[in-house]
Amino acid sequence: MAEIRLKNVTKRWGDFVGVQKFDLDIADKEFLVLLGPSGCGKTTTMRMIAGLEDITDGEIWLGDRMVNKLEPKDRDISMVFQSYGLYPNMTVYENIRFPLKVRKVPKDQHDERVMKAAEMVELKDFLDRRPAALSGGQRQRVALARAIVREPTAFLMDEPLSNLDAKLRVSTRAQIKNLHHTLKTTTIYVTHDQIEAMTLADRVVVMNKGVVQQVGTPTDIYDKPANTFVAGFIGSPAMNLVDGELRDGVFEAGKVRVTGLPTTHNGKVTLGFRAEDATIVPEGGELSAPVYSMELLGDASMISFRVGGELVSIKAAKDYRAEIDEQVHAAIPAEICHLFDSKTGARLGA
Amino acid sequence: MSGTSMIARRRSRTLATVSTLFLITWLIVAAFPFLWTVWGSFKVESDFFSRESWLNALFGVYTEMQTGAPFTGDGYYGAWITRDFWRAVVNTAIVTLCVTVISLTIGTLGGYALARSGHRYAFWILIAALVFRAMPHITLVSGYLLPFFELNIWGHLATSIVVLVAINQPFTLWMLHSFFLSIPKDLDESAMVDGCTRFQAFRWVVIPVMWPGVITTGLFSFLLAYNDFAVTAMLLSQDNQTMVPKISSFLGSIQEQGNVMFAVAAVVSATAPLFLLVMFFQRQIVSGLTAGAVKG
Ligand SMILES: Nc1ncnc2c1ncn2[C@@H]1O[C@H](COP(=O)(O)OP(=O)(O)OP(=O)(O)O)[C@@H](O)[C@H]1O
Ligand SMILES: [Mg+2]
Repeated sequence: MAEIRLKNVTKRWGDFVGVQKFDLDIADKEFLVLLGPSGCGKTTTMRMIAGLEDITDGEIWLGDRMVNKLEPKDRDISMVFQSYGLYPNMTVYENIRFPLKVRKVPKDQHDERVMKAAEMVELKDFLDRRPAALSGGQRQRVALARAIVREPTAFLMDEPLSNLDAKLRVSTRAQIKNLHHTLKTTTIYVTHDQIEAMTLADRVVVMNKGVVQQVGTPTDIYDKPANTFVAGFIGSPAMNLVDGELRDGVFEAGKVRVTGLPTTHNGKVTLGFRAEDATIVPEGGELSAPVYSMELLGDASMISFRVGGELVSIKAAKDYRAEIDEQVHAAIPAEICHLFDSKTGARLGA
Repeated sequence: MSGTSMIARRRSRTLATVSTLFLITWLIVAAFPFLWTVWGSFKVESDFFSRESWLNALFGVYTEMQTGAPFTGDGYYGAWITRDFWRAVVNTAIVTLCVTVISLTIGTLGGYALARSGHRYAFWILIAALVFRAMPHITLVSGYLLPFFELNIWGHLATSIVVLVAINQPFTLWMLHSFFLSIPKDLDESAMVDGCTRFQAFRWVVIPVMWPGVITTGLFSFLLAYNDFAVTAMLLSQDNQTMVPKISSFLGSIQEQGNVMFAVAAVVSATAPLFLLVMFFQRQIVSGLTAGAVKG
């Protein structure tokens, strides 16, 4: 059990920056999720913590040890790989026991600990099979069991659910959450699925192009995105973003006009709001435009408009119907709006 | 429904018969030269190389006349005992064993390193290896001859082992390199996170998965050394000759009657172990050749 501290950790390959100045303290027992689009450096960050990738710059601390120069085996971390990395020549039992064996844990404890780990992930019936004879979900659980069997100081999990089907993903997600609750081991979890991030995390780190965009609780990230990238990445659908002009608390952009914004900022800004916060109104409202398309989602209808170059979506009641090109009004009150600097993308105000 | 299934069954029966016949024919055609040689090796020369009738080779007329029996072990006795073929067998065993072991050791370690190295020079090492592999062996050997004489290391088994390893290494390296590439990097990285050093990961996790590949590559190295003529014929002294140049020397001096039969007997003696070897390792070889599908 230990906290993990990353001090300005940077990874470069030649000129290419994989991870830029990653600076973060991860508390003991915390469940931290790294979230971001493909290629943003999540795996690289994790591999640096595990010691599989050299660090170009910065320091990594596990508890009170600086581990920059330590071999992976000396870091006492266990990792679940995206492709599981099971040993195909060993049975499930031997796979789970392997870390105990190489770490020279006394032999008489092996059986008990393997059984305990296998039980936690409900694998007891498969112990003498080879990985090739298991389904994806079962392999996934073997990888989990192998990670928990030696009770390391931290778990790293790299998109462990990405190869599973939707249903299995939900149940394995619950299992991981429950495991973390039982074991209380510091966990770093990589995903590009925001639902996973939201449901599992104590804190989420949103990354883009190797740079940390925002660190916060899932609610923080959802309610107060730090910049337009986070706003446009989190939520489904993502936040609507409209470029326009701000003058004396009045935002204007063609078909959108929002008044009473609590800000003293003037000039070009980006206005953001969530589809589910806005409402369709019979007349008036801050937006008035012809319907571009309409999708039925089952529990709601999604109406979209073209504003400038962007598509803006608004959620309406499930029995709401509108024709394409029909003129529709929507209320976007100032309270639901987020303002971002249109140059830097950074959030304006609180 | 039963009609169609009967037709299907009849058709599959016909197909099975045809393919069985084809396989048997093919087997006979393919095995005939070898079987013929084995049969003939127990005759005397005037039968096996008869000018009167090829049937003599089957029935052994002169063999009966000269030795009093339809089969004779004279060829084998002459080759193995009189002309010391056993010594060539021992030499071949030493050479092939050493070449195989050395090539595989360097090949697995080097192939693994090259497969896991992120550096660009790894690629150029492999290309250089390919170039050396493409050169005819004889060019290497003729270049070596003079220095070997001058260094006074010509004629020794060790010298030709070194040369054969040098010739064989590029191939082993390439082959093992591609086997290692087919093994996901996650496997060794898992092992290292689980507590292995790089070498332990290699030894306990990668090699067991690689085993068929190692066996296959080892077999090819073995065959190269076993069948080599260019290197061993030129670099080994009379006493240290291996089987292939020895057989060729049986053929090359036809002053005495029976020498050709020594060669035939020796050829059979040299071929038989190969059959055993391939049969023994066939499963590993097949899975080695079809490897690349190592799934976790
Ligand atoms: N060995 C390497 N050499 C050069 N560039 C690399 C190397 N490994 C990764 N990269 C680059 O670093 C960036 C980050 O890669 P990384 O694997 O961390 O992405 P990721 O966030 O895990 O993406 P994904 O969600 O697709 O797994 C990518 O643009 C990738 O091309
Ligand atoms: Mg990744």
